[in-house]
This record gives sequence, C-alpha cells and structure tokens, in this order.
Amino acid sequence: MLLLAAAFIVAIVLLLYMVSPLISPKPLKLPGAHVVVTGGSSGIGKCIAIECYKQGAFITLIARDENKLLQTKKEIEKYSVNDKQVVLCISVDVSKDYEQVENVLKQAQEKLGPVDLLVNCAGTSVTGKFEDIEVNSFERLMAVNYLGSVYPSRAVISTMKERRMGRIVFVSSQAGQLGLFGYTAYSPTKFALRGLAEALQMEVKPYNIYVTVAYPPDTDTPGFAEESKTKPLETKLISETSSVCQAEQVARVIVKDAIQGNFNSSVGSDGYMLSILTSGMSPVTSITEGLQQVVCMGIFRIVGLFYLGSFDSIVRRCMMQREKSENTDKTE
Amino acid sequence: MVSPLISPKPLKLPGAHVVVTGGSSGIGKCIAIECYKQGAFITLIARDENKLLQTKKEIEKYSVNDKQVVLCISVDVSKDYEQVENVLKQAQEKLGPVDLLVNCAGTSVTGKFEDIEVNSFERLMAVNYLGSVYPSRAVISTMKERRMGRIVFVSSQAGQLGLFGYTAYSPTKFALRGLAEALQMEVKPYNIYVTVAYPPDTDTPGFAEESKTKPLETKLISET
Repeated sequence: MLLLAAAFIVAIVLLLYMVSPLISPKPLKLPGAHVVVTGGSSGIGKCIAIECYKQGAFITLIARDENKLLQTKKEIEKYSVNDKQVVLCISVDVSKDYEQVENVLKQAQEKLGPVDLLVNCAGTSVTGKFEDIEVNSFERLMAVNYLGSVYPSRAVISTMKERRMGRIVFVSSQAGQLGLFGYTAYSPTKFALRGLAEALQMEVKPYNIYVTVAYPPDTDTPGFAEESKTKPLETKLISETSSVCQAEQVARVIVKDAIQGNFNSSVGSDGYMLSILTSGMSPVTSITEGLQQVVCMGIFRIVGLFYLGSFDSIVRRCMMQREKSENTDKTE
Repeated sequence: MVSPLISPKPLKLPGAHVVVTGGSSGIGKCIAIECYKQGAFITLIARDENKLLQTKKEIEKYSVNDKQVVLCISVDVSKDYEQVENVLKQAQEKLGPVDLLVNCAGTSVTGKFEDIEVNSFERLMAVNYLGSVYPSRAVISTMKERRMGRIVFVSSQAGQLGLFGYTAYSPTKFALRGLAEALQMEVKPYNIYVTVAYPPDTDTPGFAEESKTKPLETKLISET
C-alpha cells in the first residue's frame, strides 16, 4: 500500500515536471538579440554583458563614466563570436532625468533595433548604523537603485508591449529579501525593486514580457569593495554566514534565468533557501517552482528563525562589548 | 506559557508621548485618537495647518484627564531632514522624549506603469519612504539612550505583494518593510521595537484620492 502511494506521488511529480514547460515562457534567443545593461561598465553588470555577448547578443552598455565604458567595451569585444556583433556605449545617469534616459534608449534602439532584454544593474550601496549613515545617502541610494531602474524600464516597456515580447531584469540583492544590521539605507532600495517587479509583471504578463528579479549574495565587485569600507563590525560578522561570490558566476545565473523568464533568480544553496522562504506572493514561472515553495517553506522558516536568533545575539554581543570597553575607558 | 518570557513588555500609553506623522487625516488621525483615548500625549505632524487644527479639536473631545495635550506641528516630513529634526526637538522639549513614533505620512497613485506621471515615482518614494526615514532617524538616538521606544511604519498590503496599477506605490511600501527589518535588527538590544503595519484598502481621504485614477484591472483585483 505504502509503495503504491509513494509510486503515485512520484508519478504526479514527474507529470508536473513534464507539463511545466507548457505554462512556462518560451526561452529568449540571445543570438542577434539587443541587450541593454545599465551599470554595465563594472561588476555584475559587466559580467552580464560579457555573458550575453558570448552567446551572440548585441550589447548596449549604459553607465556614467565614459572612460570606464570604453575600457569595458574593449574587454567585452574580445569575446565576440561573429563579425556582426556590436557593443554600443552610452554615458548617462539613469537616475537623474527620465527624458534623458528615454532619449538615450531611443538612440540605442535606432542603432541596434528594439530592446529584447533590459538588465537594470545600476546600483550602489552604503552600510552603517542607521543614525551614522549620512542623511542624504537614503535619498541618493533610492534614486540610483530604484529610480535608476524605473526610468530605463519605462523607456522600453511600450515597445516591448507592441512587439509582444521582452525581458526586464531587476538586480536586487539578498538584502532585498531580508533586512540586515547596517543596511537601513540599502535594503529598502532593493526591497522596492521587488515590489516594482511584482506589480510590473502582473501588468505585462499577457504581453509575453517576463520580469526577473535577481537576488545575488555578497559578490566580489568594485561596488562591494566600496561598501565594505564603512561596514560596521556587526554587519561583517553577520555576513560571514555566507560566502562572497564571483561576479561571473552570478552573471551566468542571472542570464540563464532571464532567458527562461524566471521571476525569481537566486545564486547558491543559501540563495535557494532564502528565495523559497521569502517567495511570499511572488509569481512562479513553473509548476515545479511552486511545488518546491509549498513543500519547503515551513522548514526553511524554522531555519530562518534560528538565523535571525543568531544575528540578534551577534548584535547584542557587540553592543555589550562596546559598552564594556567604554566603561573601562571611563574608569581609566 | 513561555512565550511572554521572550516577548517585549507592553508599552504603557497613559502619559506616553506619541508622535503621529500624517496625523491630520485618515489612518493617522484615527491612530492619534486611539492613543489619546488611552491617555497619551499626542504630537500631530502634517503639512496643512488648518487641517491640523481641525483634527486637534476633534481629538481633544476624547480627553480622559486634564493634563493631556495635543501638539500640532506643520512640516513636510519628506523635504529636509534638518527641518524634521528641529521640529521633533521642539516637540520633545514640550512633551518629553518620544515613546511611540507612528510613521503614517503617505500618499498613493495608481495607473498603468507607462501611464503614471513620471515624477510620481520619485514623489511617492519621497513622501512614503523618506518621510518615514527622517522622523525615525530624529528620534532613534534618544530612544537608544532611554533603552525604550516603539516605531511604527504604516506599509500596506500592496507592500506585501505587487499588484496591477501599483508600480509607483508598491515599491514605496516594500521599502518600508526593508527599512523596518534592518532597523529592528539594529535596535533590538536597546528594547526598541519596530512594527510594520499592512492595512488593506481603508476608507480614507487618501484612498478616495487614489481611486480617481484607478485602472479597471486594479478595481477588479481589489474587489477580492
């Protein structure tokens, strides 16, 4: 009897795996596709551009610094797979003014055709205790990380809706799945990207446009090095629970998920667990993804609660140590 | 039975100093009334002075003793941190340190992503997010010194899931949750507790305003 029940369950799961492609998006074909990457001159953005270029895409890099752009363009062109491929560089601040962003993308589309895949990777980070972070960082980070993703997306959405096809990627962060000590200026910006993605996906789904939110972990990039300069001790200790990833690996995962049209993109086993745990009301692009979420969420929540407990005790320990050393300083 | 051993000790409202941003209408006003009924001293923060005075009169009807005070301060909580800091310093000089800060200042705009006026994205994020960051930052140091406090962020169900028509609003409410989670982890050992509220569609002037431009899809979805 038990064997029969087990066999039945296995059969259902296999059936779901087979049926799944029927509801999943058709994969995007990268050869010849026009891929726009904001923040494409360094870090994860650069690696995403390289990854797409290797697969035959035409790239538009958008960033602020012209020199960095030209350097990156040379670097990317080494990976060309045919004679027709082009890397276009455009220098603009994607968070300042929508009109500018709109113009710049119009130019790009005149040269390389309509945008097939937009990767919103422009972003920056600042860490520190809530009361120590420079006050205007909250606004600045939100502008770059959030508005800098809203404006390019808005500039391409109408054309994608007309063509009934497209992919938009928002590069959030694991700090966009849970708030951590030291990230009061950064986490909200990355949470915001998820809210934008969920609402946008619901609007554009019947137009065969798929939105992907990527949640990379700490990744070895210039941006991460910058962020680490002001990182409080508590944040460093908490971050030690997961390891720093290589940008190339993160880029490969993001590109794969973008091609598939997966809403959720995560890296590694920590990322997998976190994504399932925080999947909330996010859409799924395959039945099996939904099934995994249903089955694993409970136990991952238990694990998550233990992690939260350990983070809280790290914070408390650091506070007590600091106070003890302040007291000994005073008595001396 | 063991649970109360790890839960926070409840805040005593009688005599407590409660600050409510966006307190001149809607949910904020009702929160102020509710706290006042339980004996708290209220500071209302909003932009419109007339609305503030009207609301102050309304709240004062519910007084439970002679000592209670409703203080009104007119400021835009999203414009400039220095202003917000000054205003809260004044409030604390008059009514003592803040025990409970309720960040209820917020506004909403609905519409299709490509139809929403472009500067709404920045404006909404400023009011809903920065307008909660600045007051919180202005009170946090005092709360940490006193080793007690409560901060409330009024998010929304649209801050738990993104819905058609809310591409300008949902991100702002998701952001409040990210802020709350990170902040809570920082202030927990100081006996300061953060609450994120996720109200559904609520019958307020703000909701009436939002409904003016609501797309059909959003209306139908909201009917669930």
